[in-house]
Amino acid sequence: MNTILSISLACLLVFCILSIMSHSLLKSAIFLALASAMLGVLMYMMGAVWAAVIEVSACSGLVTVIFISAISLSNIKKDDIHKQYEDEKRMRWFPITMIVGGILLIVIALAKDFTLTSALQQTTDHFKEVFWNTRQVDIMGQIVTILIGGIAVFVLFREEQENK
Amino acid sequence: MNVLKYAAETFLFVPFAAIVINNVFSKKMMEKCFHLLTGAVALSQIFATLFCIYSMDARGMSRFEFFMLEELYENDREFFCLTPVTLIFLLCIGIVAFVSVMVAKKTIDAKKTSYVNLLMTLIIGMNGMVMVNDFFSLYVFLDVVGLSSFVLIAMFRSRKSLEGSIKYIIISELATIFILTGLAFLFMQTGSLDYMDLNSSLLQNSSEPQTMLLSLSLILILSGFFVKAGAVPFHSWLPDAHQSADTSISILLSGIVIKIAGIYGIYVLTDLFSGVKAIQTALAAIGILSIVAGALLALCQSHFKRMIAYSSVSQMGYILLALSTGTTLGVVAAVAHVFSHALFKSTLFVNAAAIHEQAGTLEMDEMGGLEHRMPVTSFSSVIAFLSTAGIPPLTGFWSKLLIILALWTAGNPVLAGVALCASIFTSAYFLRMQKKVFFGKTPEHLASVREVSGSIKIIEIILTAITTLIGILFPLVLIFLQSRGIL
Repeated sequence: MNTILSISLACLLVFCILSIMSHSLLKSAIFLALASAMLGVLMYMMGAVWAAVIEVSACSGLVTVIFISAISLSNIKKDDIHKQYEDEKRMRWFPITMIVGGILLIVIALAKDFTLTSALQQTTDHFKEVFWNTRQVDIMGQIVTILIGGIAVFVLFREEQENK
Repeated sequence: MNVLKYAAETFLFVPFAAIVINNVFSKKMMEKCFHLLTGAVALSQIFATLFCIYSMDARGMSRFEFFMLEELYENDREFFCLTPVTLIFLLCIGIVAFVSVMVAKKTIDAKKTSYVNLLMTLIIGMNGMVMVNDFFSLYVFLDVVGLSSFVLIAMFRSRKSLEGSIKYIIISELATIFILTGLAFLFMQTGSLDYMDLNSSLLQNSSEPQTMLLSLSLILILSGFFVKAGAVPFHSWLPDAHQSADTSISILLSGIVIKIAGIYGIYVLTDLFSGVKAIQTALAAIGILSIVAGALLALCQSHFKRMIAYSSVSQMGYILLALSTGTTLGVVAAVAHVFSHALFKSTLFVNAAAIHEQAGTLEMDEMGGLEHRMPVTSFSSVIAFLSTAGIPPLTGFWSKLLIILALWTAGNPVLAGVALCASIFTSAYFLRMQKKVFFGKTPEHLASVREVSGSIKIIEIILTAITTLIGILFPLVLIFLQSRGIL
């Protein structure tokens, strides 16, 4: 169990940094989806089944489709993005700050003996039970959210599509 | 009971069906008659709400719990609930959506926007928010409302609308993060976010939060909802978003979105933690600040829509002040003001649409003397202004009277006095607007301006009639409240 947790945590960190630092929007979206999937695995392993369901159903899968659709519809040239990133070298401190901040949070949590007793009571729920019977209203809300994402891509990038 | 359940189910089914119809049928046909489809949805919401109010009253029910498609699920838990408060909010959603559609018929090109789809998702989000039985579900639908509003503002893709929408989405999502974090802390404390579970916990009986985590949770959730309601000092996004959006969208934002996304959330929180004094103090402080600052800022504006937006900030303060009492009368007063604000603010935005349509500008310094050229718009604007200022016998007078009574009976005479005096500011900025826009000499460039025609004129007349009629009949509501022992 601990090995899976450690591997997932390490993968999560790597995918997050890659997502921020990547010069390609498409790669960023894919790394973000992978990070999201790793977060889902972590949540599931730690017993937060409800959160895992929401993370995997919305963030990892369908939102990525919307991101990729938006990127493919936009008319931004790859070279322009590369140039912009090269100009902003100062952004390199960002992942380092994030990593240091994360380590600090872990140290504080360990020092304070931080436990989430109430949340751990939900660990016995089955994924299917949660997804279909307990949180169905949220799933309905998420479907509408994703629908809005699709409409937003269509409405806001319509001109780029016509230009193409 | 089945008929009531079917009526309640239409609040989510009908907008879903409209999205399907809009995207399945011929695109050209839907672009031509989009207002018929959206208007039908808004009217169905109004009639379904009225039926639910009548049906629940006839059966003596104070709440009705239900869930859609229950045959598909192995669950005996009800996910949605109708109460008198939620029904008034649902009625406001229907009325404001209908007004927006009538204005959109003139101002929106359905070919270039996705107005129908986005209005329907917005209605689903708002209906879902007020009907759910769980705080996390409320958050999910709150996000639906926020995202729909963002795209509705941005969809015209002018520089102004994109700027307004970006400001809105950044500040709104920040508020959403606050609310989500607060809910996470609340869940850590209670193990559930279901209203019934939270109600039955010991938390609400305490006069102050028992733990640091719970205090933090309440601060975060309350701050998030203050941002959504556009209360001072969390209001910076509101004037820009309302001014930059098309008027049919401004009607939705000011008429109902800030109330559902902000005020309804605060109502749920005050209902669940009715005993916590700190929440009541925060509501009273932010309420007074919003009333005074909103009115003073409205007084300085030269743009018609921006002035109305700041007026909304001020009026939200009155609703917060009513909720701060923590009494049943306070809730009744807040809901009454939500309803009357939906009416008079919609009227004022319809006036803005009429003026923009005919005069081509909303800068008040460039206007004047439209009283005789646009008599219907001028008259409806005066009625809306009198209602906002709380002049009898219009709806605004009764709702403000209830707020002052609620504050007085809750032992807050000073707050009642401040609320009463602040009405002078309201009168001041509306008198200034009337003088600049409708009275005085007409500038040369407006010499050819005539009264607006079609759907905008019709909706101006309907809203003015409703504001006056409900105001005249309002004593019946007071008699009803007295018979129930609330007044």
